[in-house]
Amino acid sequence: MQFQAISTTTTMASFSPLTRFTPTPSSSSSSSSSASASHHSKPHLLNTFLTLRPRPRPSNTPFLLFSPLKASADNGVGTAVEQPPQAVPDPPPPAEAVGTNGSIGGGAVAEEVKEEEVVVVSGFVDPKWVGGTWDLKQFHKNGTTDWDAVIDAEARRRKWLEENPESSSNENPVIFDTSIIPWWAWMKRFHLPEAELLNGRAAMVGFFMAYLVDGLTGVGLVDQMNNFFCKTLLFVAVGGVLLIRKNEDVETIKKLWDETTFYDKQWQATWKEDENSSTSKKE
Amino acid sequence: MRIFSPSNIAVDFGKTLKSNEFIAMLRREVLDSFLRSRAASAGATVIPALVTAIDLPPSPTAPYTIHYTLQNTYRRSLAVDVVIGADGANSRVAKSIGAGDYTCAIAFQERIKLPDEKMAYYENLAEMYVGNDVSPDFYGWVFPKCDHVAVGTGTVRSKQDIKLYQKGIRDRVHHKIKGGKLIKVEAHPIPEHPRPLRVRGRVALVGDAAGYVTKCSGEGIYFAAKSGRVCGNAVVKASEGGYKMIDECDLRREYLKIWDKEYVNTFRFLDLLQRVFYGSNAAREALVELCGDEYVQRMTFESYLYKKLAKGRVFDDAKMVMNTIGSLVKCNILGRKMEGLIL
Repeated sequence: MQFQAISTTTTMASFSPLTRFTPTPSSSSSSSSSASASHHSKPHLLNTFLTLRPRPRPSNTPFLLFSPLKASADNGVGTAVEQPPQAVPDPPPPAEAVGTNGSIGGGAVAEEVKEEEVVVVSGFVDPKWVGGTWDLKQFHKNGTTDWDAVIDAEARRRKWLEENPESSSNENPVIFDTSIIPWWAWMKRFHLPEAELLNGRAAMVGFFMAYLVDGLTGVGLVDQMNNFFCKTLLFVAVGGVLLIRKNEDVETIKKLWDETTFYDKQWQATWKEDENSSTSKKE
Repeated sequence: MRIFSPSNIAVDFGKTLKSNEFIAMLRREVLDSFLRSRAASAGATVIPALVTAIDLPPSPTAPYTIHYTLQNTYRRSLAVDVVIGADGANSRVAKSIGAGDYTCAIAFQERIKLPDEKMAYYENLAEMYVGNDVSPDFYGWVFPKCDHVAVGTGTVRSKQDIKLYQKGIRDRVHHKIKGGKLIKVEAHPIPEHPRPLRVRGRVALVGDAAGYVTKCSGEGIYFAAKSGRVCGNAVVKASEGGYKMIDECDLRREYLKIWDKEYVNTFRFLDLLQRVFYGSNAAREALVELCGDEYVQRMTFESYLYKKLAKGRVFDDAKMVMNTIGSLVKCNILGRKMEGLIL
């Protein structure tokens, strides 16, 4: 099967030891790879995943997720591997289908073979995905729902479906609604770390600029705040820190502005011609 | 109508429709012949012919000469005072007046006849699919057409991959069209924005020839019909029933100005929607999430059915804007997480 072939390749790949995880794109990857190091030393891979699941995870390190994510990804796919073994004998065509647009060839093959042997199973399989939505009871941690895990699981599902688009069906409709995740879960996990970063930057810039202005002009902090020009500079500094977080953002903002006005220019083109022609020739 | 996100989350878009409101599906072959026969019964002379060229007049009062061929053999000409070009995206009239070019999307559609029990599902339901597998900058659809369905998709930027996207939409509705028979394949360019010149001399362009197709939904039939009517009324008014010669200024004043004032905001708004929501899978997920909201549905349908940007209450509008920002932020967060995943 297509996804089972992928699962075997990912399990193989992920078990080539630790070197796989060091180039992950985050600064805290060192902690994640050390966490996973202790687990990869164990020989039995499937057992490793099953034991990894209930480990408590620190909540505020976004990229530590990499290790439990990998674990649960393979756990989900591992389930598929454990399913009817007679569905296994189809490695060669799906392997090349993966290279092209995933679902085109492999999906068709998968569908036919599946229907002969098992109940029709859509591409995305996960023990927590029940009846077209996430079963929150399975996400319990310390008595309450672990919203971080729900968010991770949904991200994984969407990524899976992005790479292997699957047919919508009337029998198994997807009824998951992201609004069941409370707003504070999003805030705690994504807004607060970034807010901390931005506030830190703003504070550093502010302190330095206040010192500089004081040193150059002798105007103290209180007097600076009373001055209109300084207040404008403060506003610009805060706005700048908010909008421009990476170097690429400057280009992005310029491009956005151009795009915003482009459509309007196309509509007004016919009127522009009018001005040109009436000034050039009097009819 | 049901809208499906890239991860197949479905929302029912039409919960607020009253009993006399509906999303119209139409068959062009039926509509076109109806319009022609209605025009004829209103007094128009219908000449089934192919226009080959239009000669521009040498002076402001001389007539335009339209050259056409009848039944592929007889070549005729007709001298007229005013020309209204309603000949669609590949307009011959537009070319003859040098109206300029526009970027086009390509829409590709397959008509499929389904077995009865599958057709019953589509009896009162249209479906819309968004996702990178279906189109990078548009949507795919399954529209019922009386006794068969039309399954199609479109794109602006990857026209050469249209067959891939068609395969994508077919895969997305695979279960629902299994066993269906392909009866027709059609494709057509759809203009993305108006031509640089819509009126020159005593020639006006309307409909697709002028480029009156909204972004985001790709709706052009209403605007084609309405612009035709506005232009016709403009000619009648400016020529006082056909007794006075008109000129370009009349057409601009009576047709273009009125048209732009009435509809340019609608077009601008839909362009904004397209830019915000059709850019990436994350944005499309946000779009589907927002479409589940009842206020959004009500506003959308009021604007769509009555062709005026509906005015809602300020408080509800503010709530909708906050929800929009919230959904976009949440889905973009998920999108960023997805980028970091290796499955």
